[in-house]
Amino acid sequence: MNAIIVKDLVKRYGRFTAVQDVSFEVASGQVTALLGPNGAGKTTTIEILEGFLAPTAGRVQVLGANPRTGGSLGRAWRAKIGLVLQNTSLDAQLTVTETLMMFGALYPDARRVTEVLDLIELAPDARTKIGALSGGQRRRVDLGLAIIGRPEMLFLDEPTTGLDPEARRRLWSVIENLAAGGSTVLLTTHYMDEAQHLASRIIVLADGRVVADAAPDELRAMGGVPVIQFRLPPGSPALPPALSQHVGGGVLTMPSADVTADLAMLVGWARENYVDLTGLEVGPPSLEDAYLALTREGALSHV
Amino acid sequence: MSEIALRGGPTAARRLPALAPVLATQVRYQLTMLIRTPRALIAGLIMPGLLLALEAGKKEHVTMAAAAPRIAGLLAFSAVAVAFFIHANALVIAREEGVLRRWRVSPLPPWAYFAGRIIATVLLTAASGLVLVFVAVAMTGVHLTGHAVAGLLAADVLGALALTATGIALTPLIPSAQAAQPVLMLVYFPLVVLSGSFGAITDLPHWLTTAMTYLPAQPLIDAISGVMQHASGPLMSAHDMVVLVGWAVGCLLISVWFFAWDPHRPAHARRAGASTTARSA
Repeated sequence: MNAIIVKDLVKRYGRFTAVQDVSFEVASGQVTALLGPNGAGKTTTIEILEGFLAPTAGRVQVLGANPRTGGSLGRAWRAKIGLVLQNTSLDAQLTVTETLMMFGALYPDARRVTEVLDLIELAPDARTKIGALSGGQRRRVDLGLAIIGRPEMLFLDEPTTGLDPEARRRLWSVIENLAAGGSTVLLTTHYMDEAQHLASRIIVLADGRVVADAAPDELRAMGGVPVIQFRLPPGSPALPPALSQHVGGGVLTMPSADVTADLAMLVGWARENYVDLTGLEVGPPSLEDAYLALTREGALSHV
Repeated sequence: MSEIALRGGPTAARRLPALAPVLATQVRYQLTMLIRTPRALIAGLIMPGLLLALEAGKKEHVTMAAAAPRIAGLLAFSAVAVAFFIHANALVIAREEGVLRRWRVSPLPPWAYFAGRIIATVLLTAASGLVLVFVAVAMTGVHLTGHAVAGLLAADVLGALALTATGIALTPLIPSAQAAQPVLMLVYFPLVVLSGSFGAITDLPHWLTTAMTYLPAQPLIDAISGVMQHASGPLMSAHDMVVLVGWAVGCLLISVWFFAWDPHRPAHARRAGASTTARSA
């Protein structure tokens, strides 16, 4: 069953088209990442799915209902949705516990506040007012509010922005556990490693359109020719000109249309100069390379 | 973030909590937020209390006829500060910070969110009013009957309701959190001064005097002053009641249609970006 159905979605602001003919479906229990550069239309898309915005045209369904109305379910539908908005938005005067209690009271079978505090690792700050928390801590309260109602559908709009690497990793594990528990997750992010780690599927938007929709590995393969990567040992002799133009920061990163020929050139150079090739890698482009290639092509094709 | 199992999250059939306890929770936390807003206590209690103390120091105010309009004026000053100015200001800030849009997509019905805010504001206004009345009684020595206290409370509650509703209806016209205070001041000061909160102004043009009786502050002052001076009879004149109920109902109806939940975005930002709040789409 599909938790999200988006069909021919269009959103215009006057003459500006933010989203153009976007269609995709997300199966229940799937973690999907929506990627795209600033202005690609991903927040507009997610805000339409959350019910903040009405589409100009097209059909949108989340958990079987129109997000603008929640269908005939209304409150019941809203209680199945968890949200982390792009910007943290909490009442500064309440403490962390009070905020969680206030929101927890809205849901059937809400998680206990102590459980959520443990999950978001804010138990020591339970009595701290929101206004006195750091940006990262507020982000974690945001996540706590999103999960307190045991959501079937979780929208995360750049959830780890402002978090330190350690906190990001911990938040990933919370999201993974939620997905393992059956929640459907749709997240937007600017971090490729985040998308690759969490999502089983990535939808790339550029210029308001879907330019790719695939699993992370498939997406990497779509990003173009394979890449030869090799960190040059300190004091290495000069590479042949065909290779040296791909060196940056002491690393050879060379997109290769003919891997055999390019490798032969590299191996020949290594043999002549007694350079150990340990660490040499050949594979598809990184997700970031693929993403950059796709969004560049996508934007150019619609100019 | 710990590895506590989150399995079994979404469940098939779950009963939503009844609305009455949900509303009670809203009132409780909205009241907590208001009490923790220093401006609410300063403008609603401490300032009028100090002015009351100064007034009480004047010998000519010992008779009820002389004291009642002054006490009523300061009670109205407190009510306008808390129910209109502080509440509307906080509402604009909540809107601009995105707090309202989070509530809008929560399982809390919009009416329950506003009911929570309004009830909390009215309760705080009424409580401030009662404290001020006790201060006034203690300092001036005037005697208040049970009828007068009931009338005071009724007027304060109805007045607070009208003023809160007026503030809510005004918020869509305020484009930013920075603009909230100046715009509200523009309404707040003429309202309290011309209505006679700090003493009646005798040389106002007739049309202005008449107009003030149709704005929410003057009927509140008249109602409180009247009930303090009359030991029996109706708690409020029909005119005062109709005006206050009219402002409350009229402004709430206007808000149903025109209230803005989302942060205001200038037209150029809407064209350049995409979503209502998103600085980056």
